[in-house]
Amino acid sequence: MAFAESQNPLRVYRIPQSRYIDAVRWLSPVSPSDRFAAIAYFDADTNSPSIEIAYVDPNPQSSSPTLTPQSSWTSPSRISSLRTAHSTPQPLLAAATFSGSLHILASDLINGGVMESEATVSQLGFHSGPVSAVDLREGGTECVSVGEDGRVNLVSFVGDSSKLNYRRIFDSNGLVGYTAVKWASPSEFATGGYGFGIQWWDQRTPGGPVLQFKGNWCQGKTSGIVHSIDIHPSRKHTCLAGGSSGTVFAWDRRAAQQPIVLSGAGTGEAPNSLLSESEVWEVQYDRYTRRSNIGNISSTRILPVMICSEDGILAVIEQGEEPLELLAEPCAINSFDIDRQNPSNVICSLEWESLAILTRS
Amino acid sequence: MPGVSSDSARGALVPLSPESPGAVVYPLRHGLKSPISRLSISWSRGNSLRVSVFAAPSSNGSVNDGDGGKVVEVKLGGGDGEISEAHWRRIAYGSVSPFALLQSRKNAVSSLSKMSMNSSPYDGDWWDYIMEYCKDINALLVNQKSASVPVLDDTKSVITKGEEPTSLKAAWELLEMFYAEKPSHSWLPERLVDWLADYDSLFSGTHPTVHSKLVDFQKEFVNLQVVEDDPKYWEVMSSALAVGWLNIVVKMLRLHGSYQLDQLSNRETENGLVEAVAVLISKMPRMRLEQEAGKLGECYKAKPDFVKAWEKWRGQINKLDSSAFWFQCAHQQTREGLRSMLQIMLGNANSLCSATYNWIELYISHFLYMRPLTVGLESMYSLAQKSIQLKPMASAHRLMGLIIGILGENTEVVLAECLKGFGPWMVAHAIELLTAGSDHAEMLLHEDRQNLGGISIEELHRLVYAQVLSSFPLTWQIAPIYLISCMKHGMILLQILLSKQPVQDNQLLLKSIEICRLYELHSVTSNIMKIAGVHHWKHGRKGSGVFWLQQARDEYRLNRIALQLFDSVGKTISDESFKQWEGLIQLLGSDSKTAGGLEFLHKYRDFKKSLRQIHDGKATDPARQAVESLISLMKNPSTPQRFWLPLLYDSLKLLNWKERPLLNVSQTNLLLNKLQELSMARLRPDFIESELPPQALNSVRLALGTNLGRAILEE
Repeated sequence: MAFAESQNPLRVYRIPQSRYIDAVRWLSPVSPSDRFAAIAYFDADTNSPSIEIAYVDPNPQSSSPTLTPQSSWTSPSRISSLRTAHSTPQPLLAAATFSGSLHILASDLINGGVMESEATVSQLGFHSGPVSAVDLREGGTECVSVGEDGRVNLVSFVGDSSKLNYRRIFDSNGLVGYTAVKWASPSEFATGGYGFGIQWWDQRTPGGPVLQFKGNWCQGKTSGIVHSIDIHPSRKHTCLAGGSSGTVFAWDRRAAQQPIVLSGAGTGEAPNSLLSESEVWEVQYDRYTRRSNIGNISSTRILPVMICSEDGILAVIEQGEEPLELLAEPCAINSFDIDRQNPSNVICSLEWESLAILTRS
Repeated sequence: MPGVSSDSARGALVPLSPESPGAVVYPLRHGLKSPISRLSISWSRGNSLRVSVFAAPSSNGSVNDGDGGKVVEVKLGGGDGEISEAHWRRIAYGSVSPFALLQSRKNAVSSLSKMSMNSSPYDGDWWDYIMEYCKDINALLVNQKSASVPVLDDTKSVITKGEEPTSLKAAWELLEMFYAEKPSHSWLPERLVDWLADYDSLFSGTHPTVHSKLVDFQKEFVNLQVVEDDPKYWEVMSSALAVGWLNIVVKMLRLHGSYQLDQLSNRETENGLVEAVAVLISKMPRMRLEQEAGKLGECYKAKPDFVKAWEKWRGQINKLDSSAFWFQCAHQQTREGLRSMLQIMLGNANSLCSATYNWIELYISHFLYMRPLTVGLESMYSLAQKSIQLKPMASAHRLMGLIIGILGENTEVVLAECLKGFGPWMVAHAIELLTAGSDHAEMLLHEDRQNLGGISIEELHRLVYAQVLSSFPLTWQIAPIYLISCMKHGMILLQILLSKQPVQDNQLLLKSIEICRLYELHSVTSNIMKIAGVHHWKHGRKGSGVFWLQQARDEYRLNRIALQLFDSVGKTISDESFKQWEGLIQLLGSDSKTAGGLEFLHKYRDFKKSLRQIHDGKATDPARQAVESLISLMKNPSTPQRFWLPLLYDSLKLLNWKERPLLNVSQTNLLLNKLQELSMARLRPDFIESELPPQALNSVRLALGTNLGRAILEE
């Protein structure tokens, strides 16, 4: 396994938070030098969940970056999923909770990062039980939420209505549970769930998923759950998914039912080249690449992927190459986010109540 | 161990006297108006109690606002004042890696020593490992909140503040110097001098200290015009000199009025005396390995060199003490102050005693000026006893108890003081140091004891610490590291811990399963999965429930829930709801072993699918497929009886296929037999009637009969 330190300089800073971190996201900055992050905390001492906007000073006088809290919003329940839409100067946040509500927050980064709750859906019947995942449409006014209760809801927020309206796209009545969701285009999105299954949805074809990627493709081996999905804007035909047993795979919708396994179950590789054997909590396409142009990479090749896992690995996987390990922590890395504007910056949340900020150069 | 009192016969382990200082009253704020009828108390997370208060139902039967009950949490104990809960957790997280590393090295060393009998297990790199462990833990104990920077003019500030010291760090450093730094035993007195310089302020809360006197003086100091007229100036300097804070003393001496340019001429002798004392102080010989840069005093590593320098230095002091210049010094305070400082340097017992404020300071001053060559814990211990006699104290600080225990070479006392003063974390981690170099301590702590249920003291304390970690939702995940280092009870407690974790949230559930995987606790994994499966199933998340039960390979429960699923299948598998079922059926897969009784659903789906394709009644190929599915469904023992009639009724158009009979004679016979069996079963009281039109049975029978006739003709 390749280690990052030997190949390219990597600076890692761990910042203890004294609170559990449920999710962390970068916010798109107002100016190129600014860095803001949205962090969903859970204070175990007082039992209070909250979301905070923090200014990340990458290089203060002391050599490690500092986090300066700008504003805070108290959540009625712990955050199960947090997404941001990259619009400036008022980035939007969508936060889903374990009690089954959804909150749209707006943060004004110019005026001190003040965060306001724009709208809330918490009606009975929106979701029964926790919302397992939510995704905000890029720059848009819609988000989609899914749960293990088998409901797929579309929430649109236009104007300043404080009560959101939602539309039930599908309800499997619990027969199928969904654990991950990601927009692909203004009308299409993908969901993931048990048995490594992925569903492809198109709002123009209502009544159910338009395509299903069969779960249980790793017959006979342990099956698992998809925890995270990513879709690259230039490769909409491919869904990238990460889940149990260190599994990272891609599903090319054009290639029917055969997954492209990048890591973990079903690779048939020698066990020592396995990156991780535990849960892959999040996957994202890694936009930071030393290659000149992603256009040069053939369209059948999967773009570089960053993953984080329960056994403390943060790594970049490229198809057919040795994975590049960026972090190997003694505790789980529960979530991470790559800065859109400056993909060399990565922020991740560690199980032991701390954040890590990585700068690649 | 707390003494088992005489009333242990009555079941009390620790006697509770009414005037025991441990009794604390916690007020409950439940806000109930009506009288309380019942209380229920249980443990919540950590050291919180959950108290459920039930109000008495109001007598007149009306429902009021304050009726019912309340659940309140009561946090016991204020915790450790100097270390916040969050900091404790940070220490707990940080100590996992050093502890685990040391354990694995220990195992490697002991397995190595088993192979080669002649070499001692603990040599070579062993002390490096212990030292590394010690330093890693020490680094965690640094207090995050740094003390405020003094706003005083730097030339006038005599004490500089760094990070605020904590008793925990002070205690750890004591253990470090006595148990981990083996080779430096002859420099122990000097290490204690440094230790007191860092941590003297910790005693200020309960006892007067040199540090607190210095802080008090510094406050007044700013307003003083002529510093040498103030008796406190001399007092504080003598005290600081007595505990060896040479830099502070020299700095203070140089603030003496005689140094000022306008006074230099008429106070020449006085200034000369002050400077002479300052120079003597800064030349004090010290027996130690190295000196921090900028610190005053001269270091000697070897004893003969030191003794020579020490004699010479004392000679110089004596010479100055008896010099004639003192008579020429007009300033009385200066004369007396300086000469009393000389007495301290000469080791005058009375001067040392009056310059120090508690026994530890006196003890340190004895090392510095009276017995710098003290070696060995025994003589250090007797000196400490003597100091305590000279300066007895009503109450002992927790660090003082620890020092006495260490010097007395009493491992049990050290452990008890660690537990009492610093809690289970300290004991669990300090044991590694206590056993590092002492065979006696190792035997004592590793020996299995009958009165502890057959485990050793070491294991007991690790279990206690793991128990503390387990009771908090954020730290339970690190408890396994400590549990698996316990040979006797660790594994079973780990299984209990994992089995008790909540299963509602997938993320937490998967974290538990990951720990099971690491320690190969497969039976616990499948138990957790079963619990999770049933939980999800009960809450209507059928897909999740089936998934977890499949993962656990729990055929019994899968078959049970299959029966429930069939009930809803009979009603809802219509063409519209097909998409809902599609996902679940896909999840079931074709592997019938993991699907249990749900295998039927899979075949039923295939059958329905092919039926749907022949709606026009012409396509023969799909129709043949449908017949095959039907036959295999009817043959399969997992197909519930109550589905037989609906299946056959659904297949009417297959049975009445226009072109030619689709079923051959034996197939038709099979179906007819099933129909007969069904008619018999209808007579039984527990038969479930399907929701089909009443003539369904007859129309199926007719169709089968017709088909049989046609099939016989064809053959």
